[in-house]
Amino acid sequence: MSPEISNQSLLFLVVFVLVPLTLSYYYQLGLSKGIMWSSIRGTIQLFAIGYLLTYLFDLPAYIGIPFMLTIMITVASFHARKKGKGLPSVLGIIFIGLIVIEGSVLGLWLLFDMIEFTPNEVIPMSGMVIGNSMIAMGLALERLKSEFKENEGRLTAALSLGAEPKQASQIIIQRTLGASLIPNVDKLKTIGLVQLPGMMTGLILGGVSPIMAIKYQLVISLSIFSAVSLSAIYITLMMYKYFYNNKMQLKHMEFDQ
Amino acid sequence: MEHNELFTFDNVKKSPLHSLNFSIKRGDNVMLFGPSGAGKSTLLHLFNRLSDPDKGSIYYLGKDLQSYSITELRKEVGLVMQAPNLFPGTVLDNLKYGPSLHGEWNSEKAEALLEAVQLPADYLDRSVDQLSGGEQQRVSLARTLANNPSVLLLDEPTSALDQHTTEEIEQVLEGLAIEQGVTLIMVTHHLDQAKRLGSRGIFLSDGEIIEEGNLADLLSNPKTEELQAFMT
Repeated sequence: MSPEISNQSLLFLVVFVLVPLTLSYYYQLGLSKGIMWSSIRGTIQLFAIGYLLTYLFDLPAYIGIPFMLTIMITVASFHARKKGKGLPSVLGIIFIGLIVIEGSVLGLWLLFDMIEFTPNEVIPMSGMVIGNSMIAMGLALERLKSEFKENEGRLTAALSLGAEPKQASQIIIQRTLGASLIPNVDKLKTIGLVQLPGMMTGLILGGVSPIMAIKYQLVISLSIFSAVSLSAIYITLMMYKYFYNNKMQLKHMEFDQ
Repeated sequence: MEHNELFTFDNVKKSPLHSLNFSIKRGDNVMLFGPSGAGKSTLLHLFNRLSDPDKGSIYYLGKDLQSYSITELRKEVGLVMQAPNLFPGTVLDNLKYGPSLHGEWNSEKAEALLEAVQLPADYLDRSVDQLSGGEQQRVSLARTLANNPSVLLLDEPTSALDQHTTEEIEQVLEGLAIEQGVTLIMVTHHLDQAKRLGSRGIFLSDGEIIEEGNLADLLSNPKTEELQAFMT
């Protein structure tokens, strides 16, 4: 087991903040306030979550786990919704998607005995799945919006040739999914070679053997990969329809120059 | 029953268009012209339901436009836009897009379509990225023709092209109108082009039809100050 970080040592972390702060001041980047604020906010958030987790880990699993998962999914839904601003029902669709995806992943973990149904295992692992799914949904939404904007002419052409919205959106759906999935395939390819994944690093620092750490890392990496893919596909297929009305017309289009 | 009246607009309102009342007969080649922002493109998109009126009704062959299947209507009333808006892939991919949606593609059609727009047959396998602007616009026209439309909506299809290519496209359009009886409804900024292709003119300004009628009469004897100003 590695030595515990004392509060005194922790204080010296201030040095890590002083470096960017000095740079910002010296080069007049105007970031000093932001750096100070985010460092303090981040520290408080982490301590708060640390105490909350300590409390939750002591609760019975059937209370602590649903409680924390609900909070995580709710916060993630509101965050991902920002990327889909202007699209109707997006919050509800994200929320349901995250519940189903997290529920399925958790179900598989438990079914195949990969983790125990205890707060200290389920909550951090689920946090990673929910967080990554949230990012994937946000990116897919952003991409979907920009693809629809960029390809307005092509979509109009497809509709005018007699395509239904699903057929007209084919290229956009492919591109959105490709853009969302390719970085994850690449990430998986270089895993462990470029940088040791966070969870594995944490476990090794915590004294777990590298092989055991890798096993956990594999579970989480592949689960995230699958959750991210599902999130991107789900949100893209659910949301592209909202760019059309029920008369197979593109919404919010200005045709006249 | 053959309806002489192809389209009838009955009190149609669609921002920025005010109350529009007019008919288009089979075989009319209608030129829509007027200053920018007059509502020409908005009007054009009403013919194949790429948008719908806020108020009023449009009739096609005597029946309310709303009563037709949207996809069938759009096949029959084709659109060619100012930009080619080709789909990624080859020329062939683009040509077969429309018919394939309804399982009606016949590969023997491909060469005839290219011939109709005066492109060589070996263009079929070319990527659309390799084509010049004029060639892309021809492919765009051929792609619309692949659906065998009986009405062709054209939204300034030659405005981005040079004089030579414009003339060639005009020849193709003239041929379609004369030989195949396709009705042309075209937005154009160029009165010379309107004269060459049209039989009937509709002059729009600020969302209203200011003058309409036989194109030659309209242009030789403009009655309103707006049209006179537009022509100078």
